Amino acid sequence: LTGQQVDPNDVEYDGNQYLEQHHKGGQRMKRAIALALVAAIAAMLAATAVARPTAATGSDAQQAVSCKSTLKIAIVTPLTGGAGFLGNAQLSWAKYAVKTLQSKYGLKVRLVTGDTPVEQGPAPAQALAQKYVADKAVVAVIGPATSGAVAATSKTYFQAGLAHISPSATRTSLTQGAAKEATSAFFRVVGGDYIQGPSDAKYMVDKLKVTKVVIIDFQEPYSVGLADAAQAYLKSKNVTVIRESTSVKTTDFSSLVTKVPNDAQIVFFPTQQPEDAQTFGQQLLEQGKRAKVFGGDGSNSPEKFKLAGSYVSNFAPDISGFAYNKALIDGWKKDNPKSSLESFGPPTYGAVQVAMNAIKRACTAGNGQIKDRRDVVRNVKRIVVKNWILGGDFRFSTKTNDPLNARFYIFQIQSNGSYKLVG
Amino acid sequence: VDTFIQLTLNGLTLGSVYALIALGYSLVYGILKLLNFAQGEVYMMGAFMGYFTLVALGGAASPAVPVAFVLVLMFLVAGLSAGVLGVAIERFAYRPLRDAPRIAPLITALGMSFFLQSTALLLFSADVRNMDTSELISPSTGIHVGPLDISLVRILVIVSAAFLMVALARFVAQTKLGKAMRAVAYDREAAEMMGIDVDRTIVAAFFIGSVLAGAAGVMVGLVFDRVWHLMGFTAGLKAFTAAVVGGIGNIPGAMLGGLLIGLAEAFTAGYISTTFQNLIVFGLLIVVMLVRPTGLLGSPAIEKV
Repeated sequence: LTGQQVDPNDVEYDGNQYLEQHHKGGQRMKRAIALALVAAIAAMLAATAVARPTAATGSDAQQAVSCKSTLKIAIVTPLTGGAGFLGNAQLSWAKYAVKTLQSKYGLKVRLVTGDTPVEQGPAPAQALAQKYVADKAVVAVIGPATSGAVAATSKTYFQAGLAHISPSATRTSLTQGAAKEATSAFFRVVGGDYIQGPSDAKYMVDKLKVTKVVIIDFQEPYSVGLADAAQAYLKSKNVTVIRESTSVKTTDFSSLVTKVPNDAQIVFFPTQQPEDAQTFGQQLLEQGKRAKVFGGDGSNSPEKFKLAGSYVSNFAPDISGFAYNKALIDGWKKDNPKSSLESFGPPTYGAVQVAMNAIKRACTAGNGQIKDRRDVVRNVKRIVVKNWILGGDFRFSTKTNDPLNARFYIFQIQSNGSYKLVG
Repeated sequence: VDTFIQLTLNGLTLGSVYALIALGYSLVYGILKLLNFAQGEVYMMGAFMGYFTLVALGGAASPAVPVAFVLVLMFLVAGLSAGVLGVAIERFAYRPLRDAPRIAPLITALGMSFFLQSTALLLFSADVRNMDTSELISPSTGIHVGPLDISLVRILVIVSAAFLMVALARFVAQTKLGKAMRAVAYDREAAEMMGIDVDRTIVAAFFIGSVLAGAAGVMVGLVFDRVWHLMGFTAGLKAFTAAVVGGIGNIPGAMLGGLLIGLAEAFTAGYISTTFQNLIVFGLLIVVMLVRPTGLLGSPAIEKV
């Protein structure tokens, strides 16, 4: 369809000049409309092609990528905004992993970074997904870091056959349940909230001997999921549970604190904003309550949440507890002299390790080239890592794309603000 | 009863902050008939200044000078810089539009609010800063008698807010400048003819209103432990509601409105649910507007012919 198509109405007109001019005007108008229509249709087609990458590329055999060329691994994580501390910790470990593991796997890899500030919702993650899908040199993605970003982009990555391996997305429904939010090209190297909620609750019952617990959720999927899971476990153990709910935007918790009974031992507070946990803990003290705050991985930030006596759970332990990690930590510290070892970064090293291992296997199977990025996806699940950075051996579960035997670790905040592993 | 007392204290803390910001709205509205929507952002800037003062003095964990001195300096620096900011806003954004149709300065005020928000984002980034008040003043210090639990920080906030409000009321009632303010508010042209320097009076109103907002910023930083670039929006909106509920342009009205809104929020959170806080607050606004369109203490507008 072009703009020069013959219009059936476009016939010679044998009238006076006025009419002729008038008619020419009409012709011009029709041509303009036709052109506009063509442009609109073209734009729509282009938009669909962008929205569904496979529609344009699906039938074409993907161009093979030589394993001798520089391959790209993309990392998708919040580098700026409120969760920037998390993303930058992850990036430092991803850089270190790529730098040190290239020679081990005989690959040339370049790390490309994508920033997804949590304040901007899923849009930045979606734009980045389009970009990495279109770039054939990108053979694996580390991330997205947050569950929301995974849910928003997993289909796009799946259609292009691009493996995306998250070191920190813990929402249960990504990999489990009837309505999975992520596709089979998504993997995570840390356990999900299906472990975190019950294991936090189990710790409260077994170690802290709780009889009354207040649980607060923030009316968004992460905290509601965790709160529900913890509540179910506590109730099964006959613990009195008082459930409260507040908006994620709340900054003054004092009236919620007033409602915490004096004999409650723990307030389970699965926020994603560590400063909320800090404020809540302070307000508990202000009102003379004896309950302690118990946060999930979302409040794990030694810089922002440092109220002594509080508890925090996370999917990674203190990795310096495993002797075989010493060289690894020393090397990372040399590259990041100003950073301190915390919990969010190290799983990223593991994710890169899994990705590069899978790329290597795909290369070997493809005789030195990756014919289809799906070959990487197929290999991810077969990866086994001995002396895993988070302890023990790593392998995926046979049923889901979650790690087998994943667990959560519980820390108590000490009076000097440090996080001590207690369970 | 225990819960009631505690919720009242929670509400008074929040209410004092709203009242201080609301006073700025009312002062300016009384004199210029202008809704200065940038008031919330002035409060946010004040909070940042307080935070930076604290950091400059060595931070909450290891302040270089005694705690009381740190607090005084925080209030001074935040109040003064907010005051200067308020005066600058008046000079560059509102004065050129003083004789323009009323919609023009209103839109400018909204623009100013976004401008300041974005400036804070550019200058200070989107990071949430924590004042770490608990390290400066232990949250458990305070009065803990029977059902009453009130921390030192909250006592400080309520007392200093009350002090500022009384000082303002006396200033407006008794000083020459205060009288000039009332005169300009009543009839600007007549006041000018009587030899009152209208420009100076307006500048004074902006300065005082902004100082109060800056002080409120420090208070919120201390009580809720955090300072960030978007904090002015909701607080500004609530304070505006407080000013309108109390009767905009009326100084005791702004104080009453602020306390009412604060208490309404605390009781809603305590007895119903935090989810409905805003519903109740703005519902209260609608009810007051229906029953008393001029606000609780507002006087009916006099049609000047």
